[in-house]
Amino acid sequence: MLSLIVFLPLAGALVVLLAGGRGDRPERESIVKGLALAVSVVTFLATLYLWWRFDPLNADFQFIENRPWLPQFGIAYHLGVDGISLFLIVLTGFLTPLAMMSSWSVHKSVKLFSFFLLALETAMLGVFVSLDLFLFYVFWDAMLIPMYFLIGIWGYERRIYAAVKFILYTMAGSVLMLVAIIGLAYAHSAATGQPSFNLLDLYGVRLSDTVETWFFLAFTVAFAIKVPLFPFHTWLPDAHVEAPTAGSVILAGVLLKMGTYGLLRFSFPLFPHAAAEWAPVLAVLAVIGIIYGALVAMVQPDLKKLVAYSSVSHLGFVVLGLCSSTVNGVQGAVYQMLNHGVSTGGLFMVVGMLSDRRHTRLISEFGGLKAVVPRLVAAFLLITLSSIALPGMNGFIGEFLILLGAFRWHPRLAALAATGVILSAVYMLWMFQRVNYGEVTNEKNRRLPDLSPREWALMVPTVAAAILMGVLPGVFLRPMEPSVVRTLDRINSAPASRTENRLGPSNLGSRTPDLAPRTKGRSPRSGATSHE
Amino acid sequence: MNNFAATIPILIVALSAIAAMLAEAFRQPGERMPIAGLGLIGLAGAAIASCFLWDTDAQSFGVVRADNFALFINLILCTIGILTMVFSVDVVEREELPEGEYYALTLFAISGMMLMAAATDLLVIFLALEVLSLAVYVLTAIRRSSVAAAEAGFKYFLLGSLSSAFFLYGIAFAFAIAGSTRLDQIGTEMASGPSATLALLSVGLLAVGFAFKVSAVPFHMWTPDAYEGAPTIVTAFMSTGVKAAAFAAFVRVFLSTLEPLQSNWVPILSAIAAVTMIVGTVVGVLQSNIKRMLAYSSIAHAGYLLLGIIAANSSGKAAVLFYLLAYAVANLGALGIVALLGTADRPHDQLRDFAGLWSTRPGLAALMTVFLLSLGGFPPTAGFIAKWYIFAAAVQEGHYTLTIIAVLSSVVSVFFYLRIVVMMYMTEEPAAQPRPRVSVPAMAGLAFAMLATFYLGVLPTRVIDYALQSIQTIF
Repeated sequence: MLSLIVFLPLAGALVVLLAGGRGDRPERESIVKGLALAVSVVTFLATLYLWWRFDPLNADFQFIENRPWLPQFGIAYHLGVDGISLFLIVLTGFLTPLAMMSSWSVHKSVKLFSFFLLALETAMLGVFVSLDLFLFYVFWDAMLIPMYFLIGIWGYERRIYAAVKFILYTMAGSVLMLVAIIGLAYAHSAATGQPSFNLLDLYGVRLSDTVETWFFLAFTVAFAIKVPLFPFHTWLPDAHVEAPTAGSVILAGVLLKMGTYGLLRFSFPLFPHAAAEWAPVLAVLAVIGIIYGALVAMVQPDLKKLVAYSSVSHLGFVVLGLCSSTVNGVQGAVYQMLNHGVSTGGLFMVVGMLSDRRHTRLISEFGGLKAVVPRLVAAFLLITLSSIALPGMNGFIGEFLILLGAFRWHPRLAALAATGVILSAVYMLWMFQRVNYGEVTNEKNRRLPDLSPREWALMVPTVAAAILMGVLPGVFLRPMEPSVVRTLDRINSAPASRTENRLGPSNLGSRTPDLAPRTKGRSPRSGATSHE
Repeated sequence: MNNFAATIPILIVALSAIAAMLAEAFRQPGERMPIAGLGLIGLAGAAIASCFLWDTDAQSFGVVRADNFALFINLILCTIGILTMVFSVDVVEREELPEGEYYALTLFAISGMMLMAAATDLLVIFLALEVLSLAVYVLTAIRRSSVAAAEAGFKYFLLGSLSSAFFLYGIAFAFAIAGSTRLDQIGTEMASGPSATLALLSVGLLAVGFAFKVSAVPFHMWTPDAYEGAPTIVTAFMSTGVKAAAFAAFVRVFLSTLEPLQSNWVPILSAIAAVTMIVGTVVGVLQSNIKRMLAYSSIAHAGYLLLGIIAANSSGKAAVLFYLLAYAVANLGALGIVALLGTADRPHDQLRDFAGLWSTRPGLAALMTVFLLSLGGFPPTAGFIAKWYIFAAAVQEGHYTLTIIAVLSSVVSVFFYLRIVVMMYMTEEPAAQPRPRVSVPAMAGLAFAMLATFYLGVLPTRVIDYALQSIQTIF
């Protein structure tokens, strides 16, 4: 079942590549696009089926597939889904057809474009379902190649620079993670005599303090670059701005979530003690990112850059929620990942539409669009509102839960982060006003066409998803909860057993009250410092 | 009677080399003769013979041992040889290389490489080294009219002879300790705590000799010039074949015979490996000629391979074998494409020559991409598994610093591999340039190399198993 979903797009990609013979003749183009779209839609339906079959009360991984791959090293082809990854898979399935459609205006070697987009979908799905660290790394690294080509071939002017920066930046982080993964597997081998890359086995590995800290940092830096957490965010504006619309949608919608997903699935539960120690640092960086991203977004003249920096800000919230290690915070964080995928993906689609019409993305080139393209502006408005977390829209639920969780953990940081909510309203609404209201100042804007049927097909699902997630959050939060609680148990219970290991049982006794469930997310040591 | 068994693959290749020479002698000027076919038959025969010898551990004359390790290397060498032959058919004709000499020398070089992998006596290793080196020196300068080729050949010859002298000197010291050049006897003596000075001198000089051949820094100076000056197809052949043979002997000598002195040579090799990886990648970034770039990349790969020797555990040894195979198919593929696109007056080896390749030759561009991604170590290609295997071996022994240098240098190397990809896909061709057609056999060879790259990247289990079996004899 999972293998089918993961490799369906790749199979489709190969079919697309072989179909239609050589060259890019215009009459073949629509066939290729249609075929690719069909593949991605079928994949989406398959992910929905997965959701339907998913048992929401079960915290364990479901739909497990476990076959030996490199048995010599304890590497297995091990897939599974829990409540956290489930929705990220659905999100991937949801956004890929939209990205495909949003790039209908691509005419340069459509076949290759569709191939890379579908190959990318396979790699992304693979990242979310892998329960074997080696397999995870394979998908994680393999994903870079199609994205590199998408940016590099179909991007805007400085695309090559952006593509190379993207791939080198991400790789530099992830190779260190590879070293840590190998180290972790051999730590397991030292403990049990058998190397293993199975995530569930590795959750139980105990490391010495120093080693744990190093490994945690290696993992976390890799993920922080992907998120991107301040100060590792500098690749993002370049990549976003230069990528074609489909690339931006996927990049913002799914790729960035891999970073936060990685933190939640790997960094924190694998190295709970180090995580507890470093969570305040990460949280501070996240809050800096929230405010910094918002302030920089405010002054951007380019629509795409503005949305890109808003991503830095929004993803800061996600990291903050994860660091709080409270059920609310983490649930909010996961929910916010989905929201951000929908709303920022939607924003990039809108920007793509505007830039298709005018071949510019500068805010100053627009103005008064409301009178010209009312339907497009209406969709734009709804997505903007979802992005700034208006109550009733999806963003609200996520940010509210995150702030709730963060407030219980660290009120001051939460208060600072809350200013980000206001700032996001400022920059988004200001941008919206400059683009859409007032007089039509630029003559070129007078005769822009309104939404085409294809663009309706893009906007309706996006807006519908945004409203649905805002009105019925329970549909999403309920299946998530058992897995979130389970993950938090891993994160929060481990320090106790480590403490016992290191300090002996007598010390543990006196510490236990500190570790009462659901108030913590930090070891006694770091708890003390963070309360000062 | 069975005494000959271990040498059969080597003899088959040597016979086919002699047949190639004879064929050339009987060829009328201007007559076309399928000499490459003779080579293919010989190499296929050697490969089959190696398969039959698997697990027999045949020994001949006490100095040649066809253990699984040697046979695994034999199979790598046969793969290299067959791919070279297949690509050569196009190239030799187009560039008007002397056909008979070219094939004969290539085949003699391969027989030398096989002997080097199987030899269990330092003098025989030296003999094999000379057989293969002399053939490769001549191959480097086989384009007699080219000044660059002559310079490359001469440089390679001078530095290579110097390294042979070092190697021979190392053998002399080993003989002084053990009274024999047999590896097993030297091993016994080394284990019993010989005179430290003599032992160190011997180890050091042998290491220098090997380091020259695998082009490790600071003994790498000849590599870029020789690789650039030689015909591209020869570059493809020697960058993979010589490396495989030299590493085979390197592993055998250092990890079985000289293993007792491990604590002495590990620090030296670690330093060499670190510098090799750094210089190979950093200088590689600066190159605008693809052959030079791949020369520096091959230096960097030598550094990664050294990591496997330094790790010195069973993973490390098997990883070296796996890596050699993965590197051989990817590098031969990449340089093979460069060779296949070149003509006598236009070598097609500058970065900018690749501009827009994808729009005129999408198939070749895609193949080139796969090979470069494999060299860069991206999943799901062979290069990823190979790198991972080497790094895992090093981490297992706690060589974290070296591993981190290795992974970071591999990121840097990705930069220059991607420069070629950028050229092929993302740069417009200034003016449509005629590129030669690629014949069907050469295309089949490239397709095979690509399939092997993916096979080793996705389902490496079986090959890793064979590699693990192979190294059992060299503990």
